[in-house]
Amino acid sequence: MPNDEICNMWQGQGIGSAPFTLEEIRRKSGKFRSRIARRNFREYFVSALLVPYFGYCAWTAGSPMMQAGNGLMMAGLVYMMYQLHKRAAASAAPGDMGWKTCVAFHRAELERQRDALSGVWKWYLGPLVPGLAAIMTASCIAGFRRSARAGMLTLVSAGLVALALWWVGRLNQKAAAKIQKQIDALDAIATAA
Amino acid sequence: MEGKSQDERYLEAVAAYGAALHRLAGAYEADPEKRRDLLQDVHLALWRSFESFDGRCSLRTWVYRVAHNAATTYVIRERRRHASPLVSLEEVGMLPDPAEGQRAADQRHSLDRLLELIQQLKPLDRQVILSYLEGLDAATTAEITGISAGNVATKIHRIKNLLAQRFHQGVRNAE
Repeated sequence: MPNDEICNMWQGQGIGSAPFTLEEIRRKSGKFRSRIARRNFREYFVSALLVPYFGYCAWTAGSPMMQAGNGLMMAGLVYMMYQLHKRAAASAAPGDMGWKTCVAFHRAELERQRDALSGVWKWYLGPLVPGLAAIMTASCIAGFRRSARAGMLTLVSAGLVALALWWVGRLNQKAAAKIQKQIDALDAIATAA
Repeated sequence: MEGKSQDERYLEAVAAYGAALHRLAGAYEADPEKRRDLLQDVHLALWRSFESFDGRCSLRTWVYRVAHNAATTYVIRERRRHASPLVSLEEVGMLPDPAEGQRAADQRHSLDRLLELIQQLKPLDRQVILSYLEGLDAATTAEITGISAGNVATKIHRIKNLLAQRFHQGVRNAE
């Protein structure tokens, strides 16, 4: 089949379904906004529940270090919520899809994903580390005061939490590196003559 | 375009490029139900984009950019859920044609094979092949995609070779 015929075949495809009406588009736009609002609400909801919980724990904690740990967890969660809000607000504006070329738009999307993944220690895991470290240290001290066995168990738990945090961070870094390769490939194509 | 409302601009774009948008959605999504959703996403993105359209580029360039960008966002999102590797024009030429062989050549329609080929491609190559199939020239394709006209011409050369190779093969197998 000659290439001209392939183009004709492509352009001659039947449409098959009725086009969308303006009403449908407006309805979809409303649903889209509700979906975004629901997603944002879900993201803040868990943190918003945890902040008073850690506040209560700080109020009733037996040691100053435990009180400080819970206080730091509250601060970490508030900072995380602020970062989530900032990132949600920074998503592409409707006109960007028309102003930006396909390469520029794709690159910007990939950059956004890469930065979210590579900065996970800065905005997601990192803010929780001081609080977690203080709580774990206070728990270990309390455990060793009770018995060596209880202390060791708490220490192992703390180690597992630290390992889990490191693992999550590493996975995110690996994913960010993969995205960077895609960005480099796009740059190479965009700058080719 | 000055003085036109968002709705008027959208309706004008749909009247001129509605069929092309439909074909584009078909090239990005094989599943008919998901394709309808993608098409609706593309139309929504287009309608919303006209809030800030001021005619600095042609309506055609604007419509294709929005459509490809919305569809690419969809492909990236879907790939996160169901990871299937996408390949470049150079790599797809080395892959065996899934429709190769007498039985497959008899059973499958050329258009299905063409869609299957397009759906394997990385976003940029998909944008270029779709522009070629829609009959857009290299300069317009360059304006839409953001790569140089020379680069578009190279890619179109590869596309032509690939299509000739795949579709002549299909005809030979069917004979």
